[in-house]
Amino acid sequence: MGGDHRAFLDATLPHVDVVYQVARHAAGTGQDPEDLVQETYLRAFAAFGSYRGENTRAWLAAICLNTARSEARRRRRRPWEVPAQALLDALPVARADEARDVADVVIAGLDARAAARCLAQLPEPQRLCIVLMDVAGYTAREAAEALGCPRGTVLARVHRGRRKLAQLLAEAGVSHGRS
Amino acid sequence: MDGHDRLLAAFLAGDLDQTAAREWDEHLLECEACWQAAREDRAGRQAAGLLRQPAPDGLADRVAFAVELATAGATIPRQPRRGVRLRRSRLAAAGTLALGLAVTLVVLLVPGGRASMPAPVAAVARYAETMPLPAHRAGPGTGGQAPRVEVGNPVMMTVGGQHIVVRTWRLGGTEAVVATSRQPFPMPPGAQGTSGGGMAWVARAGKLSLYCINGRTSELVAAPVPAAELAVLAARLPLA
Repeated sequence: MGGDHRAFLDATLPHVDVVYQVARHAAGTGQDPEDLVQETYLRAFAAFGSYRGENTRAWLAAICLNTARSEARRRRRRPWEVPAQALLDALPVARADEARDVADVVIAGLDARAAARCLAQLPEPQRLCIVLMDVAGYTAREAAEALGCPRGTVLARVHRGRRKLAQLLAEAGVSHGRS
Repeated sequence: MDGHDRLLAAFLAGDLDQTAAREWDEHLLECEACWQAAREDRAGRQAAGLLRQPAPDGLADRVAFAVELATAGATIPRQPRRGVRLRRSRLAAAGTLALGLAVTLVVLLVPGGRASMPAPVAAVARYAETMPLPAHRAGPGTGGQAPRVEVGNPVMMTVGGQHIVVRTWRLGGTEAVVATSRQPFPMPPGAQGTSGGGMAWVARAGKLSLYCINGRTSELVAAPVPAAELAVLAARLPLA
């Protein structure tokens, strides 16, 4: 058993940083991302004996997402719900006479908190693809393995999600500036 | 998403061959809608990139420790909140008690294995074993008059149904673990009671010396020091 846990840690611990990126955005209301990471590793360890996959970090991401869903179900809450007013309150202000181009507005006013709040507004499939690829640095193939869907689907979702994220940031920023 | 959008997504992902990619480059120069879509894709990717945040220091250690404990059938449920703090010391009382124990420790401490040690005590000992051995030996009172510094964050664990908060302190070149619980720490085989009523005991676990005071709040001190030094060390720790 001691050898097993050492082999497990050798194989998985180098990925703790990317698992943390996933956990931060998969953790539901009131759920601590660090607790989610720990629970992910404990579940992974329990299944390590039967694990035959080739991509360990994709496997860890899948476990992390499943663990977050289980916890959200247990709490009977939607895990990524963010009040609309909180979103508006936190968005950057853009003046009405600034450029209307969505990309220009977004890039000029990038703010991590606003990005997080807008990301939370995306449909779950798009959000998860963006978290895996753009936040945690997974490849499209790894994200597809973690989510259990074709790679092409991941690419389509991440593209739609990025556009929607940019539009949310830009529209909310402009409307907030007009009020 | 139609076929056109799928091709654009593939182009942006670098999936298209050289010829197809060149055609899309030319198309983007002429098609305002696709150009806008490509720019939004880039802006969205940049915004998401802002959300990267390094994992907290110590998370890997915490995970590794949880896995090691899992092999022994124990769990660490969560990190305690920042506001959770052990009660600060009543050093005078602890010092008096610890000094009183000093002679007893030398006489009563007996070497003991951990094979039959109660799970909560074994878990604390296991945690303490990860600490470095003292950097230098200054004789009794390891750490001399060096200030007491807390190392890392408190860790909360549940072992055999017993909730335990573990904090680590550095005194000079020596580190010591103080585990606190509302339940008493069971006395391991080979340990010796040090006061009437079986409320306190001392024991050895490998290179560690263990000293426990059971009461309304039970405390277990573990440090890689000789038994004779543990009492002096305990006097400098924030025991209740």
